[in-house]
Amino acid sequence: MRPRSSRCKPATPNLFATMPPLTAVVCEPAKIEVGIGWRHPHYAALLQERPDLDFLEVHSENFFGAGGAALEVLERGRSSYPVSLHGVGLSLGSAVGLDPWHLDQLAALVQRVDPVRVSDHASFARGHFAGGAVHAADLLPLPFTPEALNVLCTNVQRVQDRLQRRFMVENLSAYLQWKPAQEDALPEFEFLNALARRTGCSLLVDVNNIYVNALNAQMAGLCADPLAACREWLNQIAPEAVAELHLAGHCRVSDGHGDIVIDDHGSRVCAEVWELYRHALSRFGAVPTLIEWDTDIPLLNTLLEEAAHARNIAEQVLELAA
Amino acid sequence: MSTLATQQQALLEALFAWPQQDAVRALEGYASGVGNTPGRGLKVYQANGHLLAERALRAAYPVLTQMLGDESFADLARAFWHAEPPLRGDVSQWGVALADFVRGNAQLQDWPYLPDVARSEWALHHAATAPDPTSDLATLALLTTEDPHTLGLALASGLVTLSSAWPLASLLLAHLEGTPSLAEVSEQLRLQQAQEVVIWRAGLQPRLRQASPGESDLLRALQSGVALGPAVDAAESLDFSQWLPLAVQTGLVLGAYCLSGQ
Repeated sequence: MRPRSSRCKPATPNLFATMPPLTAVVCEPAKIEVGIGWRHPHYAALLQERPDLDFLEVHSENFFGAGGAALEVLERGRSSYPVSLHGVGLSLGSAVGLDPWHLDQLAALVQRVDPVRVSDHASFARGHFAGGAVHAADLLPLPFTPEALNVLCTNVQRVQDRLQRRFMVENLSAYLQWKPAQEDALPEFEFLNALARRTGCSLLVDVNNIYVNALNAQMAGLCADPLAACREWLNQIAPEAVAELHLAGHCRVSDGHGDIVIDDHGSRVCAEVWELYRHALSRFGAVPTLIEWDTDIPLLNTLLEEAAHARNIAEQVLELAA
Repeated sequence: MSTLATQQQALLEALFAWPQQDAVRALEGYASGVGNTPGRGLKVYQANGHLLAERALRAAYPVLTQMLGDESFADLARAFWHAEPPLRGDVSQWGVALADFVRGNAQLQDWPYLPDVARSEWALHHAATAPDPTSDLATLALLTTEDPHTLGLALASGLVTLSSAWPLASLLLAHLEGTPSLAEVSEQLRLQQAQEVVIWRAGLQPRLRQASPGESDLLRALQSGVALGPAVDAAESLDFSQWLPLAVQTGLVLGAYCLSGQ
């Protein structure tokens, strides 16, 4: 357990004045913050029902306009809940640098919403095509090389300098592997640890993404035991850097192009990811946890059930740790 | 170019180039897909792009989607994705060039009003996120005390006027609101009735209607900074005293101000 997130109080007062003071403390389980991704189909239902949630997560880019109904809804949500701004378009790993327009929009939104956390991904989307800079509107993977790390660090630092706050960077589910395996390439966890160490940013660990990557590696004959590989990944991440956990569903696709596991955020969290969530909590402590659901979005109650399940697991794990 | 920039450009080319075969083959030198076949992973990103293109353009162009049908619109969205890739990381900003793309599409030449429909839909889409309007209707009292040659009118955010050689307002309203009927619109199309439309934000709601005679002249003059007096003079066919109350009521006019005090 991380001491900074625990509420500790002295044990029974020392009744024997002659004895040295007790140094042992009894720790209450740290409180877990659980939130859900707040998407368009649930705007009205959530504002009406005001369920018991610790925070809402929204995609920053959906609120980039200068005004309008979406921002109005967000401000109503913000009046009842802390909001975590999660971006999908900063393109932090782009060799061509950040889009100043995008950073301006994000800075304006941060100022307007005063979010509890701000994040994006260790990915790129922006680059040169047909003589100009384009944006692929996707989370494209980076090679875990020193060169990519330098670019990522520079861009993350620029974001933090502009926003004047600590930024969070999320690990990806990747459907491409860069080759040839460059000799200086790092394991993903070392790459992310170095990013956090060099920039002071925090890490958003998506547990489902780790598992999706491990399943795909298994399919390619590169991983014998996906759960063990994920536990090892979590064991190697610097605990003090982790500031949020993401949980979501994934799917297996088999078609004429082959088989693959996709992080589609379109179903309940699977048993294996819940198991890894337990492991992550035992490593990282009471880290705020988000339930994401972005495709085939079900009724709000289904997300609330998943959030309640995350809270139950966290309480069990954290109580045990305390 | 750095190694990283070269790798990233190779992947972007594999996603946006059309036809894709050469770019995909070139990418094989830099990356391989995960999954049980080498190309499977790349297909995920290619499919994501196409799906996103359809979803983003359907949201911005609901009438064009109805007019073309789902399948044809999906084909159009995919072709546009490769011809005019997004420039920004906010995909709702992507699509402004669709009207020109439709105009240049040989397969859509039999429906020459589609580019105007697309232009109007983009204006509606843009109005939805325009700055929130702030009205000060008390300032309209200036109209009774000041010389109109010294006054301007504060207009709704997202305001656009468009002229078309086709019954543009009817085409849009028939699909968005069901009135007029499609039979009436067909007759107007047969007669090639030209219409002008006004698009603006009323509160949080983007609005569209057919412009009154002379209304576009007035609004364009006011938007370009012309004082109310000469702007009204330029809109000869507009009955300003009848137009103003309706414009105020529907959030098109938000107030008045002295030009000298801007």
